[in-house]
Amino acid sequence: MSSNDQAPINQDEVRRILDQHKDKTKTALRVCAHCSLCADSCFLYHVHDKDPRYMPSHKFINSLGKLYKKKGKIDRAGFQEIEEIVWRRCVLCTRCYCPLGIDIPEMIAIARDICRSQEVFFQWSELEQPAE
Amino acid sequence: MYNFIRGPLVWVAFLVFIFGTAYQVYRFYKLSRPKERYRLRIPFGKPPKDPDEAPDEPTLTWWQQMRLSVVGVNPVMVSVTTLFHLALVITPFFVLGHNVLLDLAWQISLPSLPEALADGLTIVVIAGGVFFLLRRIFLARVRAISTVYDYLVLLIATTPFITGFLAYHHFFDYDTVILLHILAGEIMLMAVPFTKLVHMPYFFINRFVLVHENTLGAGGSRTWR
Repeated sequence: MSSNDQAPINQDEVRRILDQHKDKTKTALRVCAHCSLCADSCFLYHVHDKDPRYMPSHKFINSLGKLYKKKGKIDRAGFQEIEEIVWRRCVLCTRCYCPLGIDIPEMIAIARDICRSQEVFFQWSELEQPAE
Repeated sequence: MYNFIRGPLVWVAFLVFIFGTAYQVYRFYKLSRPKERYRLRIPFGKPPKDPDEAPDEPTLTWWQQMRLSVVGVNPVMVSVTTLFHLALVITPFFVLGHNVLLDLAWQISLPSLPEALADGLTIVVIAGGVFFLLRRIFLARVRAISTVYDYLVLLIATTPFITGFLAYHHFFDYDTVILLHILAGEIMLMAVPFTKLVHMPYFFINRFVLVHENTLGAGGSRTWR
C-alpha cells in the first residue's frame, strides 16, 4: 500500500498529465493490434507461468489505457490496481518487443508519473521480508 | 444506391485511405524525433573507434539469433501472419477482375495473376482470418486483451475477400454479392487510417524508420523519446 491512502484523487492534475501525452497515448492505443506477440518478450510473463496479466500490452492497456479511456476518472481503489500493474508487474527493463513499434515502456512510465502525482507509488519499505 | 457505391464512394474511399494514411504518417513524424548520435566518452584506455563505425561482432550464429527472435518463439503465428498479410496486400492489385475494370475505365492495367492462383491467395487470406479468429477465442493471452472491436476489425479486413470469393464462384445472387464486395472494400480502405488497421503504415515505420535492434534496412532514423 502507498502513503496518503485516503486523500481524494486530484482529477485535474491527472487530466493535465494525460493531456500532455494525449497524442502519443492515443496513437499507441490505436496502433496496438492486440496480437499478443509482445508476451514472450517479457521475462516476468515467463516467470509467472505465462499469466496474461504480465503481457506488456495487457499492462499498458490496463494502466495508461484505462486512465486515458476513463479520462482520469478513477478512484483510489482503481489507482491501487494501476500501482500493482506499473510497479509490481513491470520493472521497466525496456526489453519488450512490439512488432508495430509501440514504445510500451514509455506508456508504463507515463502511468507511473500519473500515479506519483496522486501519491500512489511502490514502497520498498513495506515489502514483506523473507523469513529468516 | 448501386450507382453511389460503385461511383462516388470509390473515390471517397481512396481519398480517405490515401490522405488519412498520409496524415497518420505525418503524425508519427510529429510525435517522434530524429535519433541522436551518442558519443561515449571513455575516461581511460585506448580511445574507441567511432561507435557508429565499429563493426558489430555477433556472438551468435544467424540460426541462433533467429531461434531467439519472434520467428523462433512464435513460428506458426509469424508464418501465418506473413502469408496472410502478403496475400491480403498483393491479391487485390493483380486479380484479373480488377484489372479488367481498370482497362475498361482508363485503358491501363497491371499484370494479372492466373485465376486459380488469385483464388488460392484469397483462400489464404480467409484461412488466415479464421486462424486469427480461433486464436483470439482460444488463446488466453489474446483473449485477455480482446474486445468486440477486435472482432469487428477482423471482419472489416476479411469481408472483401469472403465476398470476392463468393462473387468469383457465383455463389448466391451475383449482383448483390458484388455490390457487397465493392462496399466491403471501400469500408476496409476507409478504416485503415482510423482503426487498428493503422498498423499497416506502422509496420513499415517500425521496421524501417524507428531505431531498435530489429530495424531493417539503413538502421532507422527516428526514436519515440
